[in-house]
Amino acid sequence: MVKVKNIMTSGVVSIAPDSSIMEAAKLIASKSVSSLVVMEKSKPIAIISENDVIKGVLSRKAKVRDVMSKNFMIISPSAKFADIMKHLREKKIKRFPVVENDKLTGLITETDIIEATRDFTRFHQIVQEVILAVFGLATAFFLFYFSPFGASFFR
Amino acid sequence: MAKVSKIMLTNVPTLKKEAKIEDAARLLAQSSSGCVVIVENKAPIGIVTELDFVRNIVSGKKNLKEPVGKIMTSPVTFMAPSMKLDEALKIIDTKKFRKYPVVENNELVGLATKKDVVNAISDNLRFHRNIQNVVLVLFVLFEFFVFVLYRYLYKYLPFGA
Repeated sequence: MVKVKNIMTSGVVSIAPDSSIMEAAKLIASKSVSSLVVMEKSKPIAIISENDVIKGVLSRKAKVRDVMSKNFMIISPSAKFADIMKHLREKKIKRFPVVENDKLTGLITETDIIEATRDFTRFHQIVQEVILAVFGLATAFFLFYFSPFGASFFR
Repeated sequence: MAKVSKIMLTNVPTLKKEAKIEDAARLLAQSSSGCVVIVENKAPIGIVTELDFVRNIVSGKKNLKEPVGKIMTSPVTFMAPSMKLDEALKIIDTKKFRKYPVVENNELVGLATKKDVVNAISDNLRFHRNIQNVVLVLFVLFEFFVFVLYRYLYKYLPFGA
C-alpha cells in the first residue's frame, strides 16, 4: 500500500495570516512551491495558493487573511491513499496538510497525487508483464510436458 | 489505447502577445485551467502559468500594464490530437511540464494536462488488468482440465497418449 509519508512533500512552507500577499508571493517564487500553509498558533487554518495570490493582486487586497481558502483537510501520516483519492474526487479537496502529534510534517497537493499515480502505473505495468510472461512459460511447458512428444522426451 | 483528442480540454483561455499582463491575470483567476496560451494567428507561441505571474510580481520590474509576451514561457511543447496516450506520457516524462497545447494544422485545438493523461492511463490500465485476470483464470482452469485428462482419463482417449 502507498503511504502518505512517502508521497507527501515534507518541506512545507508556512505563513502567518497577517502577513502581506507580496510576502506570500515571494515565498512561493523562492521556494518553488505551489501553495503555502497558513498557520495561526501553530495550527494550520487555511491554504494560500498561486491562484489566490493572483486574485489578491487583482482585487488589491493586502493581507493573506483576505484571500486564503479553507478548502483543505488535515490528515495523519497513516491515512490511506485511497481515502485521499476519494476526497479529491468527491469533495474536490485538493490540498491535504499532514499533521502528526500536533505538528505539521508535510503537505500533499494534487501534484503529489499525480506523481504517485504515475509511479503506480509504471509499477503495475511491469508487474502485469511479468505475470503474463510467467504464465505463458508455465503454460507452454505444461502443454509440452503432457503432449505425446513431451512424454517421449521426459520419460 | 485512447488518443489525446479524447482527454484534452477544449475551452482554453487564449490571449494575443500584445495583451497586458493584467488581462492574463484576470483569465488565470477566472479559469480553472491554471494557464493562458498565447496565440498568434491561432498558433500557440507561448504559455503563461500561475507561477510565471507570481514570479513576475515578485521581481517587481514589470508592472501589470506591460505586454504578456514578456513573461510567457516560449517555445512550448505541443501535442497532436491524434497522438496516443502512451506517446503523450513519454513526452510528459521527458519534458516535466504540466500543460501542453494541442495543435492541429497550426491551430490550437485544446490543452492536454499531465493530470488528465496520467488519470486516463491509470483507468485504462485498471480496466485491462481486470480483463487480463479473467483470461489468466480461464487459462489455469484449462491447464487443470488438460492435466486431469492426461493423468486420469487417458485410457478413454481415442488416440493413445
